[in-house]
Order: sequence, then structure tokens, then C-alpha cells
Amino acid sequence: MPSITASYRDICKLLRRRVGLKKLLRHLTMMGIGAEAAGDELKLEVAHNRPDLLSPEGVARVLKGFLGIEIGLPCYEPSASGVTVEVDRSVKPIRPSIAAGVVTNVKLTDEIVASLMQVQEKLHASLCRNRRRGSIGVYDLDTIEPPVRYTTTLPDGIRFVPLEFDRELTPAQILREHPKGIEYGSITQGWSRYPLLIDSRGVVLSIPPIINSESTRVTSKTKRLFIDVTGEDERVANQSLTILMTGLAERGFELQSVTVKYPRRRVRTPDLRPRRHRLNARNANEFIGINLKPRGIAKIAERMRYGIADIWGDILTLLAPPYRSDLMHEVDIVEDIAIGYGYDQLEPTLPKVVTTGERTSIERFSERARRVLTGLGFMEAMTYTLTNPRTNFELMRARGEAVEIANPVSEEYTIIRNSLLPCLLSVLRANRRNPLPQRVFEVSDVAVLDEGAETGARNVRRAAASVIGEGAGFTYIKAVAEALLRELGISHEVRPMEHPSFLEGRAAEFVSDGKSLGIAGEIHPEVILGFELEHPVAMFEFDLR
Amino acid sequence: MKTLDIRTIIDGLTLHERKVLLSIQQLDGKAGVTDIAQRAGVDQATVMRAALALTQHGLAGMREEKFSRAGLTQEGLEYAREGLPERRMLVALASCGPELVYEVAVRAALKGKLVQIALAWLTRKGWAEFQKRQGKTVLTITEQGGTAISQKFADEALLERLASRVHRVDEISADLRGALNTLVERKLVKTEEEARRELKLTEFGNQALALGVELVEEVSELTHELLVSGRWRGVRLRRYDVVAPGAPVHPGKVHPQQQIIDELREILLEMGFVEIGSNFVESEFWNFDALFQAQDHPAREIHDSLSLSKPERTKLPSLALVRRVAAAHERGVAGSKGWGYKFNVDVSRRPVLCSQTTAATVRYLASHPEPPVKVFCIDRVYRHEKIDYKHLAEFYQAEGIVMDPKLTLRDMLGYLKQVMVKLGLPKVRFRPGYFPYTEPSVEADVYFPEKGEWLEVLGAGMFRPELLRPLGIRYPVLAWGIGFSRLAMIRLGIEDIRDLFNNDLEWLHTWRMV
Repeated sequence: MPSITASYRDICKLLRRRVGLKKLLRHLTMMGIGAEAAGDELKLEVAHNRPDLLSPEGVARVLKGFLGIEIGLPCYEPSASGVTVEVDRSVKPIRPSIAAGVVTNVKLTDEIVASLMQVQEKLHASLCRNRRRGSIGVYDLDTIEPPVRYTTTLPDGIRFVPLEFDRELTPAQILREHPKGIEYGSITQGWSRYPLLIDSRGVVLSIPPIINSESTRVTSKTKRLFIDVTGEDERVANQSLTILMTGLAERGFELQSVTVKYPRRRVRTPDLRPRRHRLNARNANEFIGINLKPRGIAKIAERMRYGIADIWGDILTLLAPPYRSDLMHEVDIVEDIAIGYGYDQLEPTLPKVVTTGERTSIERFSERARRVLTGLGFMEAMTYTLTNPRTNFELMRARGEAVEIANPVSEEYTIIRNSLLPCLLSVLRANRRNPLPQRVFEVSDVAVLDEGAETGARNVRRAAASVIGEGAGFTYIKAVAEALLRELGISHEVRPMEHPSFLEGRAAEFVSDGKSLGIAGEIHPEVILGFELEHPVAMFEFDLR
Repeated sequence: MKTLDIRTIIDGLTLHERKVLLSIQQLDGKAGVTDIAQRAGVDQATVMRAALALTQHGLAGMREEKFSRAGLTQEGLEYAREGLPERRMLVALASCGPELVYEVAVRAALKGKLVQIALAWLTRKGWAEFQKRQGKTVLTITEQGGTAISQKFADEALLERLASRVHRVDEISADLRGALNTLVERKLVKTEEEARRELKLTEFGNQALALGVELVEEVSELTHELLVSGRWRGVRLRRYDVVAPGAPVHPGKVHPQQQIIDELREILLEMGFVEIGSNFVESEFWNFDALFQAQDHPAREIHDSLSLSKPERTKLPSLALVRRVAAAHERGVAGSKGWGYKFNVDVSRRPVLCSQTTAATVRYLASHPEPPVKVFCIDRVYRHEKIDYKHLAEFYQAEGIVMDPKLTLRDMLGYLKQVMVKLGLPKVRFRPGYFPYTEPSVEADVYFPEKGEWLEVLGAGMFRPELLRPLGIRYPVLAWGIGFSRLAMIRLGIEDIRDLFNNDLEWLHTWRMV
């Protein structure tokens, strides 16, 4: 889950009220925000679907409702700033969308600057998918002469001083030399021209999604902010802008809109009108298991920062704040009602859904196999199914194919085992220093490739056992194998078999109804030594079905 | 000491210990080991072993005396039989008068080295001397030699005495000491240090004997032969020191992690859940798409699953189902807005290592759309993780779903609570949570008395309509998952998650079966 840091003092300031720290943490938890405090610093964990909570301002906004400090719909009525952004048609194939806004009456403190940088970074990482879908720029409007043009430039088409630098670079140089250019350069792959934001005098604002210019940098003296979000997805651009700007509104700043002129249309951004949602009170009651009147539900909805447009019988028409882009379905609002009601207020109930418990036949079978083998003094091992071709094939003197991982984390785990034998031999190797004889077994799944199977592979439940040291001979392992099959009620016949992992003439295939069940025998010395063992080993492995 | 204790001690004595004890009594309560051995009819080592036990029980005391013993060497034995060489030479000389040395030697029947020894001692003892007569050197008897003929000297007397038996040096009278030294010097006698051990009954030993110590044949093991012959009645089975620690034996056991799985499975079966299994290899369709996880959603990256190069492709279910799922993603269903992106079927076909057992439960729902449904799955899932003390790349997940027309969020809390109550962890508290495919979602903290802490081990939620509707389900379905590894670690009291797959036999031996 994404997490942000916030200052306890700052949250209280935003709430315009002092709330005890313990109480605050408890409320945050009951709102679904993970919260931990270390001194004044709060670490908050926010759900993936709530990017509006990626700032202290956003968190304070929901807390205000939850605590009853300020309930109902937060209203935003941005006035027109008079600033226009003119979109050139050349951006269309690379980064077609832009949303922009203006914030005035700004008084920036260190805390606000830190919060502004954090929310940009967090939005970039989540909603904006590492700037691919959207990237945010914030500028000092007083350094810019509108209208702003959103256009493109050739890699060497322009020079400007990027943030944190003291000399002019071309976009191509920025991609090579600037840390942000190196970090996000991969987004521009395949582009012959780069996006460019530039003002009417030719002052560069930024080359999205890489870097802003130094000359438009926001400082503590900044009075007016110009904010833009460019991206491949207009929805993401609008959502990000909305979250950013409504957050700043919590600081008491004034929001203004910008006109974006596309070649064939014009839009005003940000669009901060509330969204209408219908909620059936009966659905909410039934889903949660409570019994509230529509009015009672409306009250809770207001605490969750919804506005009430209308109540008609059971149907509530709610107004959701513009930053709530997560609301997809009525159930999302029902959850808000449940949270507003309080999870700690919900008494657990247990319905009588009459069903009969039933275990899978393979688990029943496996349990019986475990009983037989532990009864024979074997110890159960549990090993990883992840392994590598060297262990699974080479050390076993075998060849074959197995389920293979395309993006392995380490060389040790690149395939899924298709036999339990190498796993048990690895267990014996790990127990080299323990007294002999040792008896170990495993009852678990392997995966075998199968073109006929829906997923191209299938799980096969196997039982395997191994004995090392005195008495680890064919006669013994065969007796154990036969005991297992006898107890499981599997009639079988035994046939001689040659297998590269086993000694010649000392391995037998067990067959039932014409189908091979598996193999038992004495392990080949090369295999024994390959697993760094120094005593005779006998093993068997069977399919359980 | 009480009589009862004495009796216990007596009963604990072995046959040999008894024999030795009785022998000491017969030898007037005090005797050397050799004598006891003779009397008891056992060897000395046996007596010593018994003596050790008897002194430990306080029945007898042992005294050890060190002394040296003198005995004849091979040469000494010979001289004792034949007489000292100088004596033999003297006797011969007395009978033949002054004569050449070899003549005397022939008469005395002495040869080689013995002649030299005889001559050396004849002169040293002053019994004979060499004289020149008619240009020849002859041996003549001295006056002293003449008187010596009829005398027996101390060295000869001692030689004779020692020939009859070995003597303790302190038994040899002071006047013979000089002779002893001479004989030792002549290597005719050797002395050896010896220890004599003497056993003496203690007061307690006498008490024990007064109570009666019987001699019964004692055996250590009851055998087939003893049983069938009936001889077991006549023998005494040796009492064991039953308190003494012995070599441990260990049963074959089910692996600790498997034991926790079994325990949980049992609980869920009792609650009426039907068990299902999952597959290691799953399609992205079932692992993600069918769970309404957008193909470009960060949650899909968060899972960071292991994708596969073999097999290359999976088969998709019916086209109609794929279309419904795609529509739910692109445009939404059941009043939902959907994700609003272009669904790609090729992504759906990609195989992955199953990253959540929900893939299995949703598969089940797709083929069982009618209520009631209560199923659970405990199986392995995979994550793109480097293995360390906190992370595993494969681990068990336990998950269940319930479908019924009238299920509520409160019912879901009820199910979660019941599972925990059955696991013996009745203190549960709930708070809102987030999972990509459930709404509302809940997380539960459970109080673990063994840790004295509230820990998050449960997550649950009602499946979103966007997940259910494409599967043809119109009823509420609640889904819950248990942080199985965490639960198992606490249950087993382990700190390192890798120990869930620990196969060290010594470690496994020490685990009590849960």
C-alpha cells in the first residue's frame, strides 16, 4: 500500500482543532488508513484506490467529516484565471492530453512545499504510473507570460536551464545528463519530438514528463501557482489535477480555472463539479446488515463528505466530491457508509448456511499416505517447488523439461520441480551432519508440462520416501513402497526398470491397471555423490491418485 | 537408615555383589581381594567391580595397602635349584685341591659365563685365590673358603626361601636385607610394587547381612528361553536404574507446517466448507482478469508475479465468459463504470505462477453459480520475492468464500470471528481494509496471548459485482483470507519465515506434534 508522511501538528492545523494523538490514530485506523506515529511524524498507509488521500490535506479533509468538524460536500467554485493553454496538434501522437489550473493567494510554508512535493511524487508513482500516464508540473505563474503553448520540439530544437542545473541544455542533453532525464528517459523512447510547454515570450516551462525549467521554479515568495498535468490519458490528467488543486484548497488558497484550447475544441480545467451517484438505502442496509432509515444513511454519507441532493423513498441521490475517482459502483459508496457507521460498531453475526464439509479426495489420500509413512518411522519434509535444472535434472543424471520461469529472482529458483526425489536428496544433504540412518518422506505436488491441460501444465500429487545409511537397500525400500500401496489399497505389480538415477538392476517400476505408479530402488552412486552424500540411499516416488 | 531403604539396596545388588558381601562375612568381616575372589569363586576383577558398588552403597569399606614383593628371576630359580655357581666351584675345589681353573670348572660342571660368575664371586667372597705353581696359574682354596664349605650364608638361605614362595619385602628379617640387596644386584631376585586391597564390612553392611542376603541367579534380560522353560521363576531379574537417562528415540512425524495446515483444514471442514485445490500454473485470466484486476492496474504490478516461459500459453475459457469479463473491465457491468481501458486477450492467455488462491475459488464460483457455496483452499502461491527471514517466494495461503442470497458484512465478520475462535484466538477486532476485488473490505487484528500483541492475520471482503456478474452470479459472495504463514509462525513460535520449510532432522525431532 502506498504510504505518506505527515506532521501531527500540521494535521491539527488543517483540522483547525487539536485532537489527541491516540484518538487521531484510532480514528485513522477506523477509516481504513494505517497510522503509526513517531514523535510528531505520522506514517500513513493509504489504500491503492484512494489517491486523494496521498497528502496531509486530503487526509485532513476526510478526518474533518469523520470527526464532524466539517461535514457534507466540499464545494469548489474556481473562477476563471484568464490563462489559456494552446495545444499544438504535434503533441497528439506522443502525449495528447493536458489539464491545467491556477492557484492564487498562495502562502507557502516549508510544510506546504514538502507536502506539495510529496503528493506529486506519490501521484506520479501511483495514478500516473511512473509519469507514463501523466506527469505534473508546478510553476510560479508570475514568471510566466500567458498564454502557454503545449507543443513539441526536436531533440536539439531548444535550450533552457533545467531545475537543479546552472547551464542551458537541449532536451537530448537533458535525457543524457540530467538525473530525471536518465530516470524517466525510457518514456520518450520512439519519440522523434519531445513535448514542450513554453510561454508567449518563449520562456520554457518544462519538457514533460521529464523536467521543469529553473526560471519558473516555485519559491517561498511565490504568490500564484500554475499547475499542469500532461499525459496520454485525459482522465488521469484531470484526476491528478483535481487531487492536487482540491488539496491546496484545504490550505485556504483560491482555485482558478484555465482554458485548454485543443485544435478542435476547448475545455475548462479543472472540472471540480460534484458527481451524482445513486444509493439505494435498502441495498446499503442489506449489504452491511444494519437497519437505518434513508435519513440516517444520509447523515453518515455527509460525514463521509458526500452532499445530499435528494432523498426519494429509499433512493438517495448523493453528490460526491470531484476527487473521488475511485467510485465505480454503488458498493463503493456502501463501503463508505459502513466505515462511517463504524466497523467497531458492527456486531458479528453468523448465518446458518447449511453445507456439508468435504475434503478433496487427493487430500484425504495424502493424509493416509502420511499416516502410513510416519507409522513406518519416516519424518515428513516440506520443500520448495521452486528449483533449478541442475538439481532437478543434472544431478539426477536425467534430462527433461519443466515449468520454466521467465523472470526468476535468482538462479537457484528458475523452474518448478517435476519430481520429489531431488528435493528429498537435498534434504538428506542438509542433514549430512545428523546421525544415520535417516528416513524422510514428502507428500506434495509437482508440476508437469501437459499440452492438453488448460494452463499447459498440471499439478500431480506425489509421495516419495528416502532412506540413507544402514539398511538403505532395495529390499527395504521395496518393502516400504509395498506397505504404502497395500495400506492405500492400490493393487500393483512390480517390473524391472532401468532409470538413470537408480542403480542398474536395482530399480523396479510399480504398475497398477497398466499405468505406471512410480519407481523404487537404490540410488546411483553418481547421484549420491552429486548431492554430497557418502552413504547408500534408497528411494521411491509414486503418483497418488 | 530405615530398614526399608536397606532392603531396597539389598534387592538392588547383583549376584556377584551378593557373593562378595557374603564372602567378606565368612572371612570374618575383613579380607583381601584375592582371598575374597577365592572364596566367592570369581575372578579378582569381578570382586573389584562388586567392591565398588558395595562401597558406594556404604555396605563395605575398602582399604588399599601398597607394598613390594620379592621373587626369584629365572636365573635365581636355577641357582636355587643347583646352588650358587661360586658354591659349586668351591665344593669342586675342596675335593680336588689347587688346580687349573678349567679343570675345576669341569668338576663343578660349570660352563661358559657361569665360570666367569663363579670366579668373580669366589674372589669377591674371598673363598679362593689364584697362585702360580710350576709356571701355571692355579685356583687354590683360602682359609675362609675352607670354613665356608660347611656354612650356609644369608644370600643362599634367602634364595632358598624365595624359591619356595614370593615374599613381601617387609616380611624379610633385617639380617637378610643385605643379602636381598646383593641378590637384587645380581639380578637373581626382583622386587615388584604391589597393592593389596582389603574389604571390610561396615556397620551398615552388617545390618544388611543381618536382614539376610540371599544368593539367587540373576539375569539382565527376560528371554524366550526363560519364559518357556519356566526358569524365570528361579532367577532374579536385575533391577535397573530406571532414573538413568538413555538414548532417545523419535517418532516419524508430520511436518510442523503441515500440522498447522491440517488443523486449519479440520476447522474449516467442521464449519461446513468444501475443500478445493489450486494449480501452480495459472492463466492471467483466472489469476487477475477474472478478479477484476485491470491489466495495467498497479495492484497487478504489486503482486509482482512470476511469469513463465514454459508453458508459453494457456487456453482461455469460453469466449462468452472472456467477453463478459473484458466488458466488465472496459465499460463496467451491473451499474459500474469499469476501468475504461482496452482489454487485451493476449495478456489473459499468459501463464503465471498462481499468486493468489482466489484464482481457484473464483474458478469454482464460475462453475458453481448457485447458492449455497462454501469452499476453501489451502495451497501454495508464488511471489516475485527474494527469500530471506521475512519473505518466501512460495508460501501457503488459506482462503475461503461463502455465497448465499442474504449475506451481510456483519455475517462476514461472524465467519472470521468463528474461525479465530476455533483456532483458540477469540479476541478479534475489525477495521476497514482494501483489496482490489472486494468492496467493502475488512482487515482483522487478532490478539495472540503468546505474543501479547494484536497482529493483522485476516483480510476479507465482499466480491465486487464487476467480478461476480461476468461469472453469472447475482448473490453476495464473501471472501476471506488468512495470513497463513504469520499464523503458523506464531503457532510454532518461530521468528524466521524460512523455518516453515525447515527440514533439519534434529529440529524436527524436537517439535512436539501440535
